[in-house]
Amino acid sequence: MKVVTGVVGNDIHVVANRLIDLSLQARGYEVFNLGVNTHLDEFFDAVVETGAEVLMISSLNGEAEGWGREVKLLKSKYQGLDDLIMMIGGNLVVGSGNPEDIVSRYKGYGFDLVCHQIDLNTGLDMLQQFIAERSGS
Amino acid sequence: MVSTATDEKLLIDVGSTYIKVCSPSTIEQHFRDFNKDILDDLIDKCGNAVNQFKPEDIHICSSANGGLSALIIGLSHNFSLRYATNIAFNSGINIIDTVLYQDIADYSVPSDRVDVVIIVGGIDSRNQAFSDKLFNYIDNLDYSNIVFAGGSKNAALLQQRIPRLVTLPNVIDNRLHIVEAHLREYLVNLYQQDIEGKEDIKNLYQITSNQIFSTPYIVNRALPQIGDRFAVASPFILLDIGGATTDIHYSKDLVEDNMVTENEYDRLVFKRLGVYRSRQSLVLAAQSNEFVYELLATLNVTENILSEHSERATKVLMQLAIFLVLCKMSHFRKAYINLKLLAINSIVLTGGITKVLTDEDIDLIIAFFYRKILNSEHRPTTILDLNYDIWTLGSQGETSCQ
Repeated sequence: MKVVTGVVGNDIHVVANRLIDLSLQARGYEVFNLGVNTHLDEFFDAVVETGAEVLMISSLNGEAEGWGREVKLLKSKYQGLDDLIMMIGGNLVVGSGNPEDIVSRYKGYGFDLVCHQIDLNTGLDMLQQFIAERSGS
Repeated sequence: MVSTATDEKLLIDVGSTYIKVCSPSTIEQHFRDFNKDILDDLIDKCGNAVNQFKPEDIHICSSANGGLSALIIGLSHNFSLRYATNIAFNSGINIIDTVLYQDIADYSVPSDRVDVVIIVGGIDSRNQAFSDKLFNYIDNLDYSNIVFAGGSKNAALLQQRIPRLVTLPNVIDNRLHIVEAHLREYLVNLYQQDIEGKEDIKNLYQITSNQIFSTPYIVNRALPQIGDRFAVASPFILLDIGGATTDIHYSKDLVEDNMVTENEYDRLVFKRLGVYRSRQSLVLAAQSNEFVYELLATLNVTENILSEHSERATKVLMQLAIFLVLCKMSHFRKAYINLKLLAINSIVLTGGITKVLTDEDIDLIIAFFYRKILNSEHRPTTILDLNYDIWTLGSQGETSCQ
């Protein structure tokens, strides 16, 4: 399964990005890593070019809060992305907040899976479970 | 007398307005006689020089007829379209339009014949990237050549449905990086094949046995060595304001771009911005720019100058061309790329414009642009390529490669 990943916005947390890449590969995914400082439209364009089934956006400095609001609008401009699994993880707010509120807010932005301050492997388990449930196995 | 020294070459540039001829001792420039075939005109004006060289020692480049026109169809703006656009510009091709595949049904089909259609998109493992809507669009298109440089899994279908399709290796690799070589080589060679079909330029093969290259391609190749001839402070842009088109070559440091390509300079062309062949569209562009009237006042002329055909009018038109090009490259106008104009340290001008405008004429325009559009006192140094050194440098580089 193909996954497009990268760090959104003006965020240079390259180590986290590399760890996500390696962990995804270790689980058998074909990874297209756009690296750090990636704009939202680049993520969706990469999905179109690769035919990826999963878009996994990470954010470590809390910038996702701003970018996330535009996800639904931008995605609606692309054709054929209805089945794309949208996942976001990392540190999703500046400061602190109620995790349940944060998850619910990001789901409202159009993400299927939201992992705020959750261990990487736990997040990847959630993805695996989501894929299994969707395929009905 | 025929030359024998191997390092003695005759370099000829056939533009849409001027013919330039560079021998080891002199550089000549002649206004073209449009009533004559290019070869006849060249022999008439520079026959003595041409006759002194053997066909293998004569190297020609040309931008006559505005070069090749291309239409690019791609899957996304950030990858396939951007990569193919970059390769096409740097190969000396003029792009008439780019089409985002998903919205292809909304695009109007160009009425004029397109020299080459470039289809790109998808990494090699991407399946079913294209469908009937592509073929319907292509069916209505009038073109001379068509090439596919996208994902290999889609090549078979496209070859089956599109007659005379040339298939090349993908411009995108599996890490989503650009692969320039194959498409660039095809486009550079296509320029030669294309002019073989144009009687006017084809005749030039009577005096040379070497490949005729596109002039912008030659200029782009010269830029890494520009410091050998000029005191250029990087980053710089080079403006070639010609009769039919205006070309801009720029250091990559001037764009916010993460595309890693072989050459550190890119090219962009404004195809209807010239002072002779494209004069009318240049005037229209000027009239629709709200700052132009103030600029004309600064130059102590009225807008009536735009409808005049005098030496003074040509000079003003060239000054406007510089201003309009800078506007098009700035954030004031959204374009294919926007340059970091405040970071430019030098502006190099080449082409016929250097024979008409002085340093002061150009500095005046640049100062006006930076003050009015960018609200800045920044002033890049102006350098005039008075003897076509850049073109000579590129031509010599290409001859040493052959």
